[in-house]
Amino acid sequence: MAKKLSKVVSGIPGFDEISHGGIPKGRTTLVSGTTGSGKTAFSAQFLYKGITECGENGVFVTFEETPQDIIKNTNSFGWYINKLVKENKWVFVNASPDYSSSVEVGQYDLGAFLARIAYAVKKIKAKRVVIDSVSALFTHYQDSGVIRQELHKLAANLKEGNVTCIMTAERPLEDGQISRYGVEEFVSDNVILLHNRLNSHGERERTIEILKFRGLSHDSEEAPLLVSVQGMNIYPRPKPKLRGKGFSQKISTGIKGLDELLYGGIYKNSTTLITGASGSGKTVTTLHFIMEGAKHGEKSLLIEFEESPDQLYRNAASFGWDLKKYVDNGIVELLCHYPEDLRAEQYLQMIQDLVITKKAKRVVFDSISDIQRIYNERRFRTFVIGLNAFLKSHDVTSVFTNTTSQILGITEITETHLSTASDNIIILKYVELEGMMHRIMSVLKQRGSPHKKELVEFEITENAGVEIIGPFKGVENLMSGFARRIRQMELGKEEAERDFIAEAAAGKI
Amino acid sequence: MAVQYVLKLYVTDKTANSTKAIENFKDILKNGLKDVCELKVIDVLKNPQLAEEDKILATPALVRVFPPPVRKIIGDLSDKKKVLLGLDLTTR
Repeated sequence: MAKKLSKVVSGIPGFDEISHGGIPKGRTTLVSGTTGSGKTAFSAQFLYKGITECGENGVFVTFEETPQDIIKNTNSFGWYINKLVKENKWVFVNASPDYSSSVEVGQYDLGAFLARIAYAVKKIKAKRVVIDSVSALFTHYQDSGVIRQELHKLAANLKEGNVTCIMTAERPLEDGQISRYGVEEFVSDNVILLHNRLNSHGERERTIEILKFRGLSHDSEEAPLLVSVQGMNIYPRPKPKLRGKGFSQKISTGIKGLDELLYGGIYKNSTTLITGASGSGKTVTTLHFIMEGAKHGEKSLLIEFEESPDQLYRNAASFGWDLKKYVDNGIVELLCHYPEDLRAEQYLQMIQDLVITKKAKRVVFDSISDIQRIYNERRFRTFVIGLNAFLKSHDVTSVFTNTTSQILGITEITETHLSTASDNIIILKYVELEGMMHRIMSVLKQRGSPHKKELVEFEITENAGVEIIGPFKGVENLMSGFARRIRQMELGKEEAERDFIAEAAAGKI
Repeated sequence: MAVQYVLKLYVTDKTANSTKAIENFKDILKNGLKDVCELKVIDVLKNPQLAEEDKILATPALVRVFPPPVRKIIGDLSDKKKVLLGLDLTTR
């Protein structure tokens, strides 16, 4: 009976997702990449986590760095490989270069190399082997035919022992051949590529791509890869399923007049976009939403890019809210920093972790345009869709703000992918009327519910925050930013004009 | 005659290359080198830890461990001249 092909846990967060379960078990997988693409980190983590998380001992065959270097370099990940070596869980096969040259006279094989690996595997009953990198063998020895044949033998031996193996290979150029000597990939049925490219923003971008897993499924697209102090992380593209529940329950925005415009607030787990110019009242509107939840003990996550915690506390205090108290007692989780500090993928991961650990039910993102500014369009879109899908599936009601560039006048809100991803859109605007600035608010859309179409005037007052005064009646051109009162006389004139046109159309004139 | 050279020959069991290397080297030693050379033959299958210590990958491998510096030849030693040259062996 054919043995069922399976995979082992890789120990690299995100990899098991893109590989549909990990590294092919009992087989050899080639990991190829240019210098600095993370081959050693990938394979060392595979071995380290195999021991610490799966109880599978490992052998590390090193050709380039000395065992001491590897131990030292991985200390920064908080790993203590020397401890594992002492406990007989990790064994190094040291093939790092020594400075005695060797002369080739006649036929040879890699008998000692194979014997050393077999010995190490047997000694600690290893289930995982890393060879970093096989390309070095081709530089050491001239007969590449022998190397290839010996690597095949090694792969076969390991397979027989049901040992899972990663061989790394040096790639001379991005987008060139898979490996330097062009033969490494034939040793293995499974090939993973690590990319390291300069993107159009001038940043190094590392990604991982599974080229082939013979007989096994995997994702076919590249996924971002980052190495941080915790080790290597892979960030699969979010695969959002439209599976958010359709709640019929509405929750309050914290602003009475706005709830009325929305016929009772916004739906639970909906996404709301508040769009407006700088200073139009977006942050205070979101604070209403947070404070409303906090009042009922509902936890929220407030992501703030434009103000520091102290600024926020002060502003909230001016509206009569003790935001700091809620942050201190854990009802509100506050995340304030510059968006430049994190990559989109890290950011998404961080938000997801926070929502889950803090059990947040309300999330505010102020503002999404700060992120849009620094990510390219594709990344931004992936980020927004991923975040949205995650929040919906966790029954989180979210409010995003979008800063428009114009203080007055018509601004496009479709510029952000959020406009289609949002269930509700609220516009905040300034309008000028008879030499005075007025604040107006309007609900542009609410999915699944009717809403009032009128434009209302509001004020931001001390100790109350946003207060809706009432509809802006008898005024037109509000959306243009330059409003004017509709005079009775003009109304009459317009009517006459309409009648004239209607009659003309009917052929009476 | 005192020993002038210490040599180790790493082999893998009785593979063709290894057997050939042993024969070829015995041949080389015939010309007056036998008395000045101390040779140890090591089978890497039986003593893999010795291969690990000396960082041997390929077999057969002939290593001159004394006098320093260490010199290494890999292969079946089929070219006598090259072997003598590579190990810098001469009768004194």
